[in-house]
Amino acid sequence: MFAIETKNLVKKYKDLTAVAGIDLKVQEGELFALLGTNGAGKTTTIKMLSSLILPTSGEIKILGMDIVKDRQKIREILNVSPQETAIAPNLSVKENLEFMANVYQIPDRKEKIEELVKLFRLEEVLPKKAKTLSGGWQRKVSIAIALINEPKILFLDEPTLGLDVIARKELWTVIESLKGRITIILTTHYMEEAESLSERIGIMAHGKLVDIGTAAELKQIAGKDTLEDAFVELATKGGAPA
Amino acid sequence: MRTMNFAKRNFKEIIRDPLSVVFAVLLPLLLLFIFQQFKIPSDNYRLENFTPGIVVFGFSFISMFTATLVSKDRTSSFLIRLGVSPMKPVEYILGYVLAIIPMIALQNVLFFILAVVLGLPFSVHIIWAILVSFAVSVLFIALGIIIGSVFSEKASSGIASIVVQLVCFTSGMYFPREMLGKGFSKVCEFLPFESCVTIIKGVMNNDLAGITPRNIIVFAAYTVVVFVIAVVLFQKKMLSDNKGS
Repeated sequence: MFAIETKNLVKKYKDLTAVAGIDLKVQEGELFALLGTNGAGKTTTIKMLSSLILPTSGEIKILGMDIVKDRQKIREILNVSPQETAIAPNLSVKENLEFMANVYQIPDRKEKIEELVKLFRLEEVLPKKAKTLSGGWQRKVSIAIALINEPKILFLDEPTLGLDVIARKELWTVIESLKGRITIILTTHYMEEAESLSERIGIMAHGKLVDIGTAAELKQIAGKDTLEDAFVELATKGGAPA
Repeated sequence: MRTMNFAKRNFKEIIRDPLSVVFAVLLPLLLLFIFQQFKIPSDNYRLENFTPGIVVFGFSFISMFTATLVSKDRTSSFLIRLGVSPMKPVEYILGYVLAIIPMIALQNVLFFILAVVLGLPFSVHIIWAILVSFAVSVLFIALGIIIGSVFSEKASSGIASIVVQLVCFTSGMYFPREMLGKGFSKVCEFLPFESCVTIIKGVMNNDLAGITPRNIIVFAAYTVVVFVIAVVLFQKKMLSDNKGS
């Protein structure tokens, strides 16, 4: 059974086709990166896969469950860390964690929060209001909150966007530590992030998944030495702009 | 359980923003106090008439910071995080409404305490008026949810200030609506704010005959319609906001 399986997934907004027929299979425990230009359809795809919006047509199975029929059950086993940090600004880090633990009605709430605090080394920021934290800390807290329900599938939408090199590397370490235990779908603009973290990479352009493979496979398909060159080649084949 | 959890979070967000307390509680209190110092020769400013007006005026600020909170949650993607959780749309709406209730209680208790200190005779009818005003507040919370669902965080407070102005000009709290002509008076009759003030005033002064069927119908119709629109619009906007790239 696949963690995620889609068949001819389409999302249309009036005249705009944001996602134009995606077939995707992601293994359990895999870290899969979605690369794409702005407007390629990455975020819409993530929103459909995470049950936030419904597809116009096509099929999505999450661990064998149908995203439409079993929506409520699916929501218990996945979580998302959105592009913006999406934490309650006037609540402390501890209150944010407690709030989301209550949303998911976690039975051993205290232990779970302690575990996340330890994993993300949040001790020093625990009593601080979320709005007073730096961008790097906010992202860490955002991902920690997304792990509160021990999701089987985690969506990370551009988790390191706008962070400095040190904060980015720190987050990579955290994401690395989750590999294998959780299926992770990561969208990013950073080639080195996709290459370093993911097992496979999907390249999206104009709502379509144009190629899928490991970083080495994509470089080979495109006949390029770097993932960036391979991405430009693959994302623009057929004359589409990068 | 989830509703109370969300309400608790919303309440903390509100009270940790000192400006909301200043506008919703301290400003109306100050107005109530100041207008009683001038001894203005108009029945509008007698405590039994002006206090209910101040209560409704305070509610207009409730609309304002409900709108700000909802629009902030929308634009910060906080609602995306909650949108993929098992929370249901009705739990969001109730969570916003319940979070405001303690603020309404605080407003009412302080407004009536000051009114009594300034000379309003205390009676059990004040307690009834407080209870009725909770029902009245639902209209203002729903108005805030509508504004917050439609407009950005910055625009929300500006748009919500229209509610504040409408309360001032159409509720009859500062001047009789007839003063501005027949046409204006007719418009006021079909807006809910004058009815809100009249209902609280009638209960507080034990003058139920002063509350007309028109007051009850206008208030009830607005409350039901506005609340339904708030729920539908909030759900719709939550989805349309999530159109991605």
